Amino acid sequence: MLSFIEKIVFVLLALGCFGASFVTFGRMFRAISIGTNPLNWKDILKNWQVGLFAFFSQKTLFKTRPVVGLIHAFVAWGFTLYLIVNIVDVLYGFIPGFSFLPNNIFGNIYRLFVDVFSLLILFGVVYFLARRFILKDQRLEINKPVMLSELAVSGMRFDSLLVGSFIILHVGSRFLSASFEIAHTQSDWSQPGANMMSKLWIGLQPDSIVMMEHITWWMALGLILLFLPYFPMSKHAHLFMGPLNIMAKEKRRSMAAIEKIDFEDDSIEQFGSSRLHHLPQTQLLDGYACIQCSRCQDACPAYVTGKELSPSALEINKRYFLNENLTDLADGKEIDIPLTDWMLTEEAAWSCTTCGYCVEVCPVGNEPMVDILRARQDLVMMESKFPKDAMETFEKMENYGNPWGLSPQDRENWMEGRDVPLMREKKEAEVLYWAGCSGAYDSRGREISQAVVDVMNKAGVDFASLGNEETCTGDSARRIGNEYLFQTMAEQNKETFDQYKFKKIVTQCPHCFTTLKNDYAELGVELEVVHHSQFIDELIETKKIEPKPWMDEDVTFHDPCYLGRHNNEYDAPRNVIQSILRDGELKEMEQSKSESFCCGAGGGNMWYEVKTGDRINQTRVKQAVETKAKTVAAACNFCNIMLEDGLKTTGNDEEVNIMDIAEMVSKGLNN
Amino acid sequence: MKIAVLVKQVPGSESALPLSPNEKWIDESSVTFVMNPPDNFALEEALLIKEKNGEGEVVVISMGPSRIQKVIREALAKGADRGIQIEESDDIEKDPLTVGKKFASVLKEENFDLVLSGLQSDDTGMGQTGVLIGELLGMSTATLAIKTEVKENKIKVKRELESGWFQWVELPLPASISIQSGLNIPRYPSLKGIMGAKKKEIKEILLSAQNQLSNLQSMDKVSIPQTSKQTEVIEGDTEAIVARIVDVLKKDIKVI
Repeated sequence: MLSFIEKIVFVLLALGCFGASFVTFGRMFRAISIGTNPLNWKDILKNWQVGLFAFFSQKTLFKTRPVVGLIHAFVAWGFTLYLIVNIVDVLYGFIPGFSFLPNNIFGNIYRLFVDVFSLLILFGVVYFLARRFILKDQRLEINKPVMLSELAVSGMRFDSLLVGSFIILHVGSRFLSASFEIAHTQSDWSQPGANMMSKLWIGLQPDSIVMMEHITWWMALGLILLFLPYFPMSKHAHLFMGPLNIMAKEKRRSMAAIEKIDFEDDSIEQFGSSRLHHLPQTQLLDGYACIQCSRCQDACPAYVTGKELSPSALEINKRYFLNENLTDLADGKEIDIPLTDWMLTEEAAWSCTTCGYCVEVCPVGNEPMVDILRARQDLVMMESKFPKDAMETFEKMENYGNPWGLSPQDRENWMEGRDVPLMREKKEAEVLYWAGCSGAYDSRGREISQAVVDVMNKAGVDFASLGNEETCTGDSARRIGNEYLFQTMAEQNKETFDQYKFKKIVTQCPHCFTTLKNDYAELGVELEVVHHSQFIDELIETKKIEPKPWMDEDVTFHDPCYLGRHNNEYDAPRNVIQSILRDGELKEMEQSKSESFCCGAGGGNMWYEVKTGDRINQTRVKQAVETKAKTVAAACNFCNIMLEDGLKTTGNDEEVNIMDIAEMVSKGLNN
Repeated sequence: MKIAVLVKQVPGSESALPLSPNEKWIDESSVTFVMNPPDNFALEEALLIKEKNGEGEVVVISMGPSRIQKVIREALAKGADRGIQIEESDDIEKDPLTVGKKFASVLKEENFDLVLSGLQSDDTGMGQTGVLIGELLGMSTATLAIKTEVKENKIKVKRELESGWFQWVELPLPASISIQSGLNIPRYPSLKGIMGAKKKEIKEILLSAQNQLSNLQSMDKVSIPQTSKQTEVIEGDTEAIVARIVDVLKKDIKVI
């Protein structure tokens, strides 16, 4: 089809554009290599199936926004098909009389797919552009007071428009080209869309049709070449960077269990991250994998309540910072600007409740929360710049072994009137019951601890408590960024554990649960740890206890982030609630399970307050009240405290009350 | 500028405080010890003065048994340059003049320009150490500082008086100043500070027993304050109620 000159031009253009794209990709990966923890390509490539599966299944897109996800899948699948289409079309242009499997059933199926998917892509991309530019979907915007790069403000719109227009022109031209080809030759019922379109060209001079065929061929394929040099730095590169990022994602025991810091290693001079080059390379890759869909901020408790944090803005800022400094970074030059000047503000870093929603829903496997945890480590350990209330919490943990700052001698006071065996007397037990600081000191927490031991006593569990020997796990210290204090606390607990014999730890605090189970493992302390929801669920299942159903009113369950998203336990607490329902039903909130909305206490936010915006617990309580349930079931003492406060401050405490699932079961056993 | 900060380790405000069997002090075995909070402000003030000056040395000095090394390390982690521990048996000295003399004998050797101390300790609350040391060493002395300004060979101090009044005084150096709590925000040690503190020097000094004792005061007995609740419902007409309330405030509670 192509003339000789056209062929030469195409080949030269292809070489130039592929070359330019290749060079840019090279610079991007050199820039990424300024980060710590080098990408392990051998391990990454071993995950090829994970990447391919994510790409073809589009599975990660359906966690939230399923309709948009499906439209995206049309575009993604169509685009994959277009990889073949483009090769076939180049052959068609270069080899006179070439036709791909003509009059063949497979050829016809291929043409049918191309025809259908061309239309689906066009529909999808037109919808995406309309959504951004005409419908102005708020979910794609990043609201004040979040810090967003100046370049990103205009750059994102430009990038979206350019990428969208490119796809429309590319696929549209290909579609037109097919219709001209049909008009030029004969009807083809395997391409119903293009066939219909070709009817429009009836009456055109054959010469014009040939010319149009050339023009549309060039529009389709020439355009793709021209797009290539721009492609790597555009957000469209996510189609490659996204699956790669999923393959490169750090394997963690749970999402906040980040790699430990070795304080014995004298060569480490920087703890945590304060500059771009202090971030691990997989985290830098995140910036390029991000397509700016902002799913991560849909239920980010900080963003939704109007604080300075948006995990999406964090990744977008990262990409624009990388691109802006690409030449220097690729040359290995470290850029000496604090992350808090361009990636996220200090207040944004303190606004994160480490609820894990952003990590959970990101379709390309980004971990903005990990950046925040690392930035906090720097602010705490290197710069001593953090909320004053958090400082008091650290001092209380250091001096008294609990963040409440109450006497360690009073830790076992909650046991009064209860039969609670002590490890220091028993030395050995099947179950070590861990009440945690909230379970020992908070007035509501104590009632919950009492309910847990009541249930265990009823079930005849062989258990014992550490009593006054227990000390804080260090969860809050670790999430706030005080890794040193965390490790000190862990060391202390390890020494206590070593003195006694037990099979597993049971705790009602999801923070203690994940810290003992996952974070301690980072330090080489392997423990079998079970949350009380799981433990009670098993007691019911094995008929060790048979609580009498007593609840006649509806109940809604608030998923604790550190039990749900961080440890994937959604069923156990629901099973436990079901066991006591008589006439009442379990009503789910608007956001539940993996999409649950945080109570606001996680990540150390229990101990300090970020005043900007609305209060997170009140926002969550509104969702609970909307279910019309009379009882909110909790499975975390912090959630309990936060939601109770939320109910009181929104004036709903007379209507709705909060109970821990252990209290519900205990009541069912006493009736 | 060479600054000494006197730091004491005291039972934390939330600590258990069981009495010792002889009821002369508390049973320290189950006590949670912390840095005396007013001393923390004195330490911060010393560090701020040094940082503002751009040079100098902050030496933290504490007296007590080996447990007090913890607060000295804490002060070193926050930025003090070195530490001195005046060794003491578990039976800590409670007579202020003896304490003052012991500190003075160590401070004398070092020629400090400035001696800062918290206004009082949270355990015995005598509030005399800073003043006594100033007197014993012939230094100018001020108490209850809520602001300090160091100038060439002198220090300007804003002192808190009663009823919201304050006073500016200018003292020649060397001076011993006791610091009122709340004049600054004490820092949290950075990790570099914590690591660095492990390598900093803590000099342990064992004083010979003679000469320093005064024994003007001794602790005979300590006891837990007895608390009791009394409720009286005042009835009658307004005049009778007012009269009774005034009576109670005057005679029983003695506040008017």
